[in-house]
Amino acid sequence: MIDLSVPQRQSPLAIVFLGLRILRSLGIAQIVVVVLFILRAPFNGALSVLPFVIIVFFSGFSALAWWRYTFQVLDDELVVTKGILRVVCLNVPIERIQSIVIEQQLLHRLTGLVKVAVDTAGSNEAEFSIDAVTRPVAEELQRRAVTAVPIPVKIGGALPPPVLAPDRVVFTHDGRRLLAMALTMWPLAGLLVLGPLLAFGSDLFNQLPDVGLGDQPFRWWWVPVGIAGFIVFSIVLNITRVFLQDWELSLRASATSLQRTSGLLSKTSTASNVNRIQMVTSTQNPLQRRAGLRGIELATVGQRNLSVDGCDDAQFTTVLSLAAVTPIGEMFLSRRIHPAAIWLAVRNTAVACALLTGPLFWLVGWWSLLVLSSIPLVWATTRLNVSNFRWGLGQQLASASHVFSWRTEQALLHKTNAITVTQSIFERRRGLGRVQLSTASGVISIGMIPIEEAHAARDTILHAVETDTRPWI
Amino acid sequence: MTGLFSNEPIPTDQLPQLADNAFVPVDPRYLRVSLVGLALTAAVITTGTVALATQSNWSLLVLLTGSAALVLLLLVAVLRVFEIRRLAYQLREHDLSLRSGVISHRVESLPFSRVQHVNIHRGPIERSLGLATLQVSTAGPNISIPGLSRADAEQIKLLVTERADAVVDNDPSLPMPRRPPTG
Repeated sequence: MIDLSVPQRQSPLAIVFLGLRILRSLGIAQIVVVVLFILRAPFNGALSVLPFVIIVFFSGFSALAWWRYTFQVLDDELVVTKGILRVVCLNVPIERIQSIVIEQQLLHRLTGLVKVAVDTAGSNEAEFSIDAVTRPVAEELQRRAVTAVPIPVKIGGALPPPVLAPDRVVFTHDGRRLLAMALTMWPLAGLLVLGPLLAFGSDLFNQLPDVGLGDQPFRWWWVPVGIAGFIVFSIVLNITRVFLQDWELSLRASATSLQRTSGLLSKTSTASNVNRIQMVTSTQNPLQRRAGLRGIELATVGQRNLSVDGCDDAQFTTVLSLAAVTPIGEMFLSRRIHPAAIWLAVRNTAVACALLTGPLFWLVGWWSLLVLSSIPLVWATTRLNVSNFRWGLGQQLASASHVFSWRTEQALLHKTNAITVTQSIFERRRGLGRVQLSTASGVISIGMIPIEEAHAARDTILHAVETDTRPWI
Repeated sequence: MTGLFSNEPIPTDQLPQLADNAFVPVDPRYLRVSLVGLALTAAVITTGTVALATQSNWSLLVLLTGSAALVLLLLVAVLRVFEIRRLAYQLREHDLSLRSGVISHRVESLPFSRVQHVNIHRGPIERSLGLATLQVSTAGPNISIPGLSRADAEQIKLLVTERADAVVDNDPSLPMPRRPPTG
């Protein structure tokens, strides 16, 4: 048992990470100036030791920063003390910690250490991170945070004390499941990995070897071969990415928390208290539907959501029950949206096309009329959406939609932070409206419904918020 | 009362409803605050247009662009007049609602039990007219009520924080302060 009430210091390896962080905080331009100064400046005589002085000073500064950085848990507060000249003491109540992410990058793996990122709801980024500690210390910190019970709202009497169950592994994805996961993603999803390369622009293409295609006349079969090549390349990239990121993807659960762990080179473990889950979203593209798999995202307050891809139906139901959300059935989702949504989408598209076609005609001539082809496309997709969209309101607000992919969204009513009813001119003329439930992490919006239903939904949700005593965060 | 949580279904027509006629409009002087900002923008556009026109030998393109921007600003000003007429809030025992929007009507409701913090903002023009903007924040979206008199803003701030505390302290029966006066 690790005693976190005693001030803990990070592993000395943290000096490297702290050094890198200080370097990053200087800014790219400043770093470039310093490096160029060290490399290019004509140092003579006594000045020749200047680069060494800078390096020694920087290393000493990083080491001092490591020495001054301590953390401990005192009276259910995580207390972090850091800073050399300006000492900062950060007190975070344990029950306010939204998630603790344990990450193991390559350098960590070589040394058997982990990085801990602590996130509260106070900002969009992790509040602070502990760069290098041993795994038992990190896991003890994570255990303390996710088992901390938030103060419940006490309308109508006391709540029974929570029952703490031992951790159990809910499921682990094996290599076969990961392969199925990678193969059922959108074929070009893997190319996203190459996104950062776009920053190099045309310089990158100039570096590619010239295969002499430019000298030959255009052949029609280049197009399908090129597209097929791109898709195969993307699938290979996708498989590599999935195996690196999601290797041994497992979900562990206790009565109060969920923990997701995965990674091959860099192992990441994200844990969150069940009460902090605000919304549950599931997505399924046609390939995933064929394979019986789906992706689930549990939106938690703070920086990191718990997302688990490649779940089969049984796993989906288990995850929902662990998140205290009941699976939505066909009977519950009986309400539909008004078909006027089709006319609105077509009208808006037609207006946009009319405005676009004129200027485009001057640029590309009659080809500009191709823009008009989007009108039947929008008509068909909106029609499909209107006929497939279902929503329901019980102890939760839930919706299910399907155009190309299947998507469900669910939020328990007592998670509501604000509820909005809006009516555009189009909706007002037809007695329709939109109800939008905002949680601390995500929004469910149902539009094109009778305004009376929207008002009734708002009153029901506000009533549930005031009477439901379960903790919402 | 056993003290345990229960959640029996309630017909929606028996639920307390947000009455449309119980909304309190914001102070009409807020229109002046809003129009002063637009007037300043108009002054900048006019000065810029005249400066550019003199440089370009009173080019028709510059004059047309400047005039179009001023006409657009005028339309925004007209829209703002209607917007502020519709801008109103409603305080109930357990929640705060804000009605806004002209083209798209919008009613946003925020339960007191979800309020994280409340603050009052007073810009220089608002200060000169004795007005204030109340900002109510939750862990999710926030509500901003402009055009309140300073006393009303302080009182609503007190009410919201007291009501939020009352929910946590198991005292939902806290008396409501008087409804803020209109105008």
